[in-house]
Amino acid sequence: MVLLLLIVIPLICAGLIVFNPREQAKYIAAGGSLVSVVFGVVALAGFDWSRGNVDQMLVSIEWAPALGLNLALGVDSVSLLLIALTILLGPICVIGSFTAITENQKTFYAWLLILQSAMVGVFCARDLVLFYICFEFTLVPMYVLIAMFGSSNRRRASTKFFLYTFTGSVVALAGFAYVAWQHAAQTGAWSFDMAALGETARGLTAIQQAWVLLALMAGFAVKVPLFPVHTWLPLAHTEAPTAGSVILAGVLLKLGTYGVYKFVLPFAPEAVLNYAPLMAVLAIIGIVYAGLICWVQTDIKKLVAYSSVSHLGFCMLGLFAVNAVGVSGSVLYMISHGLSTGALFLMIGMMYERYHTRSMKEVSGLGSKMPVWSTFMVFFVMASVGLPGLNGFVSEIMCLFGTFQSGPWTGEAGITPGATFGMLGPVFAAIAGTGMVVAAIYLLYMTGKIVWGPLREPDGHHHHDVLPTDLSVREIGVLLPLAAGCLIFGLYPLPLMKAIEAPVNDTVAYVQSLNTGETGRVMVWTAAHDEGTHTDAAHGEADHNADEHSGEGH
Amino acid sequence: MLISPTLAAAADGAHAVGSAPGWVLLIPMLPMLAVVLNTLAAVFRVRTKLPAWTTIACLAGSFVATLFAFMALSGQTSVVTAWSWFDLSWGTGQGQRFVADFGFYIDNLTLLWMLFVTGLATLIAVYASEYMEHDVGKGYTRFFVAFALFVFSMTCLVMGDNMLMLYLGWEGVGLCSYLLIGYFYKKPSAVAAAKKAFIVNRIGDLGLAIGVMLTFVHFGTLEYAQLFQSEQLQGYIAAVQEGRAGDVPLMAQLIAVFLMIGAFGKSAQFPLYVWLPDAMEGPTPVSALIHAATMVTAGVYLIARMLPVFLVSEWALPVVAWVGTFTALLAATIGMAQFDIKRIMAYSTVSQLGYMFAGVAMLSSVGGVYHVVTHAFFKALLFLCCGAVMHGFAGQLDLRKLSGLWHMKGWRVVSVGMLIGCLNLAGVPFTAGFFSKDMIIAEAFVTPGYGFSFLGWTLLFTAGLTAYYTFRVFFRVFTGPVQYEPGDEHHGHDNDHGHDHGHGDHAHDDHGHPSSESLGHQDHGHDHFHPHPPRFAINFVLATLSVLAILAAGLYFVTPEKHGWVGSMLESTTAHNVYTADHSAAAMFLIDEDAHAAHDTHADASHGDHAAHGSILGFDPHKVMYYISAIFGLTGIGLAAYLHGPKGLVSGFLGNRVEAGRCRMDAVAKAFDPIPRWAENKWYVDELYHFLFVRPLWVVAHVFHAIDKLFVDGLVNLFGYLPRLLGRGAQPGQSGVLNGYALSMAGGVGVILFIVVLVTL
Repeated sequence: MVLLLLIVIPLICAGLIVFNPREQAKYIAAGGSLVSVVFGVVALAGFDWSRGNVDQMLVSIEWAPALGLNLALGVDSVSLLLIALTILLGPICVIGSFTAITENQKTFYAWLLILQSAMVGVFCARDLVLFYICFEFTLVPMYVLIAMFGSSNRRRASTKFFLYTFTGSVVALAGFAYVAWQHAAQTGAWSFDMAALGETARGLTAIQQAWVLLALMAGFAVKVPLFPVHTWLPLAHTEAPTAGSVILAGVLLKLGTYGVYKFVLPFAPEAVLNYAPLMAVLAIIGIVYAGLICWVQTDIKKLVAYSSVSHLGFCMLGLFAVNAVGVSGSVLYMISHGLSTGALFLMIGMMYERYHTRSMKEVSGLGSKMPVWSTFMVFFVMASVGLPGLNGFVSEIMCLFGTFQSGPWTGEAGITPGATFGMLGPVFAAIAGTGMVVAAIYLLYMTGKIVWGPLREPDGHHHHDVLPTDLSVREIGVLLPLAAGCLIFGLYPLPLMKAIEAPVNDTVAYVQSLNTGETGRVMVWTAAHDEGTHTDAAHGEADHNADEHSGEGH
Repeated sequence: MLISPTLAAAADGAHAVGSAPGWVLLIPMLPMLAVVLNTLAAVFRVRTKLPAWTTIACLAGSFVATLFAFMALSGQTSVVTAWSWFDLSWGTGQGQRFVADFGFYIDNLTLLWMLFVTGLATLIAVYASEYMEHDVGKGYTRFFVAFALFVFSMTCLVMGDNMLMLYLGWEGVGLCSYLLIGYFYKKPSAVAAAKKAFIVNRIGDLGLAIGVMLTFVHFGTLEYAQLFQSEQLQGYIAAVQEGRAGDVPLMAQLIAVFLMIGAFGKSAQFPLYVWLPDAMEGPTPVSALIHAATMVTAGVYLIARMLPVFLVSEWALPVVAWVGTFTALLAATIGMAQFDIKRIMAYSTVSQLGYMFAGVAMLSSVGGVYHVVTHAFFKALLFLCCGAVMHGFAGQLDLRKLSGLWHMKGWRVVSVGMLIGCLNLAGVPFTAGFFSKDMIIAEAFVTPGYGFSFLGWTLLFTAGLTAYYTFRVFFRVFTGPVQYEPGDEHHGHDNDHGHDHGHGDHAHDDHGHPSSESLGHQDHGHDHFHPHPPRFAINFVLATLSVLAILAAGLYFVTPEKHGWVGSMLESTTAHNVYTADHSAAAMFLIDEDAHAAHDTHADASHGDHAAHGSILGFDPHKVMYYISAIFGLTGIGLAAYLHGPKGLVSGFLGNRVEAGRCRMDAVAKAFDPIPRWAENKWYVDELYHFLFVRPLWVVAHVFHAIDKLFVDGLVNLFGYLPRLLGRGAQPGQSGVLNGYALSMAGGVGVILFIVVLVTL
């Protein structure tokens, strides 16, 4: 029931906004999102964390029984944590926009709340059709937010955002439909229950699974976004209003990775194994390529937008490592990235409100002018760089660890006991790891320009008539929860880690169970098996490649 | 193949891991408390020296706690966990659990490091309380937040009980280093230096991260206690001892190689040393604590801590030895040609770190660690003396513009401190630096390895160079006629214009020849300038450090049978397992750690093995090294005195310098022309890196950006354009004739069916 409330409350508030005077819009929105937070806490408290892998708080309303359609809601611990992130970002976005949005306030706040409902709906849907409806519906509010409240190039950005992601999702729908059709063919009755469909999908042949994987990835990869289907993101981010960017980076991108976690991994485990190297290569290209592109940006918002492409590459890498550490790392990455990148977009918004520019050529050296803002900026940059003790590190190192462990090792106690079954491995992890260096390069480049150095302000800059020179109490209040989140997450991630352990292990098990132990799948890369001589890296690599080809032939 | 009987004892004895009492957590937590209190001070905009006193009190408390821990836990290995940090399991078998606690591992190696880290940090905080006073109300609080955070990170690095904690500390000190180098953040050069330090360190950190992951995959654990106890590691060590080094899996041998890259980054070894000299942009207390005494020795700590892992690798330690020696020589040559005294000290730090690496790599972990300790004291002292000069002369650091400080009122403590530091650094007999350096060099001739005796000679030669450049500074700045020219920081340090004097921007022709009229405060332009000598806090710290630097020599004579106090400390730790690598036979074997004490036994035993115990010119290195290195050191000092000494030094025989800017060296520099200039320009390594790495990467980034815009996004836009194009093409189809629609509909359905059939077949 709480889940239903979490979806309905923002909708009700959106309705209230529409029928109340313009001046009250932002307060209603703030109130509504704060009430959601309260119910979010209720949901967190009511959840049985010891059974995190079991869907709880189920709601099921019959919808179209003939087609097997249900309004089925439920959450496991992963879904619930992502809902928590969504709800936490709600009031932050609303309150963070108080001074930024001066026109069409009713429209803005109403759509912002509707967007929150849709996102919560995605995470708690347990019926495929409901999931898909919510998934697609998130596009509409976001489209409005960008098209109405964005910067100069907003029309193009919003259209591109909508068409690009919509086109991808339609292909994903085809994949879902295919699975549902197979299910109907096998059992004789239509159903869109996610668990049931998963079972059907796992029974498909490797080639059929490959089609399912490709179709679903077409939808989710665009959303993540994975290289090379990422170009809508920098544009949309740059043009979107601050709150839009925060939601976009914080939650909307996670719909893609959540989709991969929730559908691709359990629906097509065999195909995941076969396609993991391909997906990992795309993710790694994204990490390095987008990272380097960040370095040559002059618009800091575009820089942070591209950094999302780079960061989510780690997230995808962890997912396709398909082992406990990697997938847990990915799930943690979804939350962690939402906190730190969301915060960075807020920081940029606060600067933009004061200077009306985001160009590093026009503004620099704010450290002396806005010390509080600068302190937060450096803090969130460090969180984003992946400094140990802050959130970014926990998830990033786990994604890399998972990738590293994930084959081609012997996986035997006494030789490589820490290895797991998978198709990636140390070479992938090492190349992806260069992303850590690249991240330091571009983020410190940005910090060096915007925070440090001699002060430079745009010509004809006047002080904002509402905002103080440095951050206001409201703005600090918006940033503090995120900062606290980053710090606690970094120093004491254990509760989160334990919460997602069970569902992640269940998901991983689908793939890990394919480990038959035959040497075709599990690679040998140690000397112990090679009587006396070293099996060198090239040799291991050759084996690995050979296996990839044979793997596809199954 | 020789197996020492001490192996078994060392392998088993060191690993009885107990649990430490909870109060040990005070060591890391007190600095953390200082961070929190100072942050609160920043929030409440405290504009007094309060943050300094908070920091000093907390750090002193941490030092006292370390002393207690030393007394209570010395010789034991124990672990105390603050809270659980990472814990994830996916099975019940070995290695199917990813655990890293926020826990601390206390053994003698840790205690040794923590003693000098917290002790020096306290002293330097006292020094900084006066040194940074210009910035009270401006950056004072920020400085001490970062300072305390640094000490906390350092405790995590050194005391962490698993490799992820090490990594946390490793990057944490990197962050503090970044924040403190960039302390004068309005100066573009400081910002650039801070960025460079962080990024170059990150390259090393990547190596460390890969090493950590490789360790986990191989041993299924990240915790030291389990790692060093693991049967696998013991098995590998046994294999190496029995001459079956080939049985150790390649990937296990690579662990050490990757850890080594991390160590090179943090400890500024070639090729990742370039950040350290630039790091001198930070305030001097920072240079003394972080970039000389503590943080940069983290790499040595890493190797000492992970020595068992390094020993199972055939190449890691020899590579470390070569790189360390090469770095020592390279940095010394650059240091000889610099004019900025702080940079000279920076290069000497890089050079001395090279000695330490050579030491641990040549299986004299005692020598390496002893040098870490002695170096910590005398180099901190040297930096703080330079800082006092800089502080008093408005940022002046050019040795051509300062002279005769010894004779100035109020500068005697600084001068004496500088002399003591210089004597140590130059390795003058009976100083601490002399003993610790000798220990390393002697081992180079004892330990067989690829060209180790060549490395030994190189290190000896470098010791001569070190003595030369050290006393070059001393003779130029502290002796001779009283002459000075202030720097450009008249109003404290936090000013907008950076000091751009001297850093290699002098053309060759006038190098060393600033017009003599401009020197001397009585002349013109600087009538208002009066150097202000240090007051109590700085003098107190300098005096204390001078005493400690002298006393550090005494450590050599405590328990001489174990190579001094450091040897006795390391005995119960992982750093104790000292083996000798006989690489020519592609095998390794253990030699007796107590090579000095049990010398004869050892020599006898090694007769069977070719060149097991080397010699220097036919003598026993351990016995003659004192004399040989003394000769090199004194020659260097003599040369410095001849070329830079003041007139009247040893009755005019040695020195003839009568003014700050001119000396005999000028003629020599001219004679050797481009070489001193190249050395002054750091052999253009920075330029080379820029040309080889930074520029190409920058170009690639731009190319990627262009590709992204034109190709990747262009393709998308093309697809977006297609419907319109098709629409235009298909316009004739919209004829309104029903038959046509029906036909095309049938065709479409047919195509879809065809695809479906194709897919499902």
